[in-house]
Amino acid sequence: MEYDFVLKFKLAEGNADANDLVERLGEAGCDDAVVGIGQPGRIALNFTREADSAQQAIISALEDVKRAIPDAELIEASPDLAGLTDIAELVGVSRQNMRKLMVSHAKTFPAPIHEGSAALWHLAPVLEWLRARAGYAIEQHLLEISRIAMQVNVAKESHRLEAPVEDRIRALVA
Amino acid sequence: MASSCQLTTMRSITTLQPCEMGRTKHPKKEVEEALRHAEEQGWRIEVGGSHACGRMYCPYNDPECHCGEFCIASIWSTPKNAGNHARQLKRVVDNCAIRKQTATAAGDEGGEE
Repeated sequence: MEYDFVLKFKLAEGNADANDLVERLGEAGCDDAVVGIGQPGRIALNFTREADSAQQAIISALEDVKRAIPDAELIEASPDLAGLTDIAELVGVSRQNMRKLMVSHAKTFPAPIHEGSAALWHLAPVLEWLRARAGYAIEQHLLEISRIAMQVNVAKESHRLEAPVEDRIRALVA
Repeated sequence: MASSCQLTTMRSITTLQPCEMGRTKHPKKEVEEALRHAEEQGWRIEVGGSHACGRMYCPYNDPECHCGEFCIASIWSTPKNAGNHARQLKRVVDNCAIRKQTATAAGDEGGEE
């Protein structure tokens, strides 16, 4: 199976120049990704990775990047965090339609993880909702990779939890 | 593997003229097609590197073009899968161009709600 996903990293201050990093990524087996180096201090890899499962695809990619650039810090795995426009694009409907769907099913539509001037969702629950509740044909690959990307993004933030309050907070919000 | 990059003329990045003016072809046909597509859309291609054959540069290269990191995208000399690599490069170009078009056509730069 081939899985398509993006891993985006923040580079450490002392990291070598972009050319060297790209060469190191090639050496480490990331030649199944396009490497984006257009933003200072960032590097993004759009993988098309052959693997037995979405989990294996993302984990092996993370390992490869770690080997090439040990101190690069993961910012985000995609597809996961998405706004309405992104979701609409992925599913192939207009943003208006997606918005209508959300508003008219306010009670069952997955809650966003942030609401403000922009709103953000984890993609996987929305795709699952669209498939189960609205009858959309969602590509199985996309669903699988978005679930794993969500695991990665949530795990990445978990170090921020502080042990003394963790259990009490979990009991209230999880 | 790393030595087979036929685009490379020297180790450092060199600016070449547009394709018809003499950029050496990429050894993989599909990738070469993707690079031509990029050039047609105004992307600039520079060659150099070992694993990497070179880079392509977005003509807009600004925050509005939505390319983000992919404003500068690396091109492998021997990608794991040439067809996939060509598709990836083409998508980088199309994502930029399409968003650019829709942004100007709709005049709707409003954020998410």
